[in-house]
Amino acid sequence: MGYNQVKLYSDANYGRYEMVFEAVRGALDNAGLKKKDITTVISTTNDYYEGRTISNSLTVEPGGGYLADESKVEMDGAHAVLYGLMRILSGNHKLAVVWGGSIASSFPYHSARLYETDPTWERPSTYVNDITSSGFQMRAYMEKYGVSAEEIAEISVKNRKNAAKNPLALAEAQNPNLTVKEVLESEIYSDPVTELMVAPPCDGKAALLLAPEKQAKKITDKPVWITGVGFNQETYYLGDRDLSTSTSMELAGKTAFKVAGIKDPRNQIDVAELFEAYAHEELIFTEALGFAEKGKGSVLNTKINGDFPINPSGGALGGNPPCATGLIRIIEAVKQIRGEAKGYQIKDAKRAIASGQIGMCAQNNILYVLEGGE
Amino acid sequence: MSEDKIVVANKGLIRAEFAFWVGQYMDKFYDALESKKIIGNKCPKCGDVFVPPRKICGKCNEKISLDQNWVDLPEFGTLKNYTITYYKINDRSSRKVKKPQIIGMVQIDGSNTAIVYRLLDIEPKEVKIGMKVKVEWEEKAKGDPSDIKGFVRV
Repeated sequence: MGYNQVKLYSDANYGRYEMVFEAVRGALDNAGLKKKDITTVISTTNDYYEGRTISNSLTVEPGGGYLADESKVEMDGAHAVLYGLMRILSGNHKLAVVWGGSIASSFPYHSARLYETDPTWERPSTYVNDITSSGFQMRAYMEKYGVSAEEIAEISVKNRKNAAKNPLALAEAQNPNLTVKEVLESEIYSDPVTELMVAPPCDGKAALLLAPEKQAKKITDKPVWITGVGFNQETYYLGDRDLSTSTSMELAGKTAFKVAGIKDPRNQIDVAELFEAYAHEELIFTEALGFAEKGKGSVLNTKINGDFPINPSGGALGGNPPCATGLIRIIEAVKQIRGEAKGYQIKDAKRAIASGQIGMCAQNNILYVLEGGE
Repeated sequence: MSEDKIVVANKGLIRAEFAFWVGQYMDKFYDALESKKIIGNKCPKCGDVFVPPRKICGKCNEKISLDQNWVDLPEFGTLKNYTITYYKINDRSSRKVKKPQIIGMVQIDGSNTAIVYRLLDIEPKEVKIGMKVKVEWEEKAKGDPSDIKGFVRV
């Protein structure tokens, strides 16, 4: 119905609540709606990332929840969209606002993710956080399928080049001249993962509006429909999982495609916006969703003018504001379908997919199918 | 732009530390570690052996009884995966360490899972997936995760 994303910054020069207001009010303005039209709000924040408990208590006013019904999802913004969707489908609501995001510059994001680990087993040893897990994940993928670091670095190059065309992407991530060599020679975070293969945590918020069919048609002549959604998760311990693939994405995809009536995803989908927390995850997801054979994701031309464009906006490698990144993928898919992705528009995009994730090595994935038309 | 910002840094205004009880299954496991032994438990349905032990097999949705299904395991295992990092993970300013840490995923022989520990006395270029490794015990075991100092090549 409407959407808005604030520009991503590595160190934003405005308060976190102003940023929520800019995102939510911007989405209402985008749809030509007012505060009084909102019937339910779903916010997405994380207590640890906000540095306090009940992280949505101070966002009532800027988030449109003043004297309204509001609930929080402590996952990715893409998961909050599922909650919003369920509220709309219940028949009790006419307009849901879904917003999410955080200010990653205010805390050490990668260190904080140690707090995701089992407090009685892995946490005291301090070997597992998002970065070391990504090292395991990339190595598992390379070893199993004989994929090279160069093929993975190509994804960083593509997405950071795409980000250069997206005015809302993180400036530090935008690089139209990046080379594979520079990606491979950037600082080692956790071998084989280098700095430029990591989606940079940053400051940002985004908001999306959902409405039932009848209201949607009254509000806009360019509605975008959620025609399928799939949601799946894997077991927690890294040592119990096959990190060379993404079983949860594979199953989420199967469900979403079935619900949307898609039999041939490769030919029926025009563009994908996938939340890749690391360059290699984009390839793993591409293969898990069946767009390429296992280990052959890098053969597919996924550039903006390629055979199957993935992350034309720059994806999460173009900026990763925790709790907003998956929501932004959905917004980017909406822009493509509405023909509003200026500078990185895929010609005649009618059907798109968008994903969100949480957890170490994308333990949990959610995938949406979005379509334009009547 | 950050120079002009007024920042209120909340650095530990109060001490609100957590004390987690590890539960009956991990109690047994840590007791075993204290005597420098590794134990796991086995799902009665699928037969998977877990290290550390689990109360429930997620795959089978089956409770693993506390009084049976324990398996004594060797201190040997296979390196399934590894990563090398120059960063201190538990450091708020992400400071670097002098020597890179090699962190391995080791499958203890006879188990179906892998545990994450440091690889000791080895150079990065010598690490090979599939190599046999052995637990290096901490001299004075305390009955916690640090009893396993790391793994060394066999």
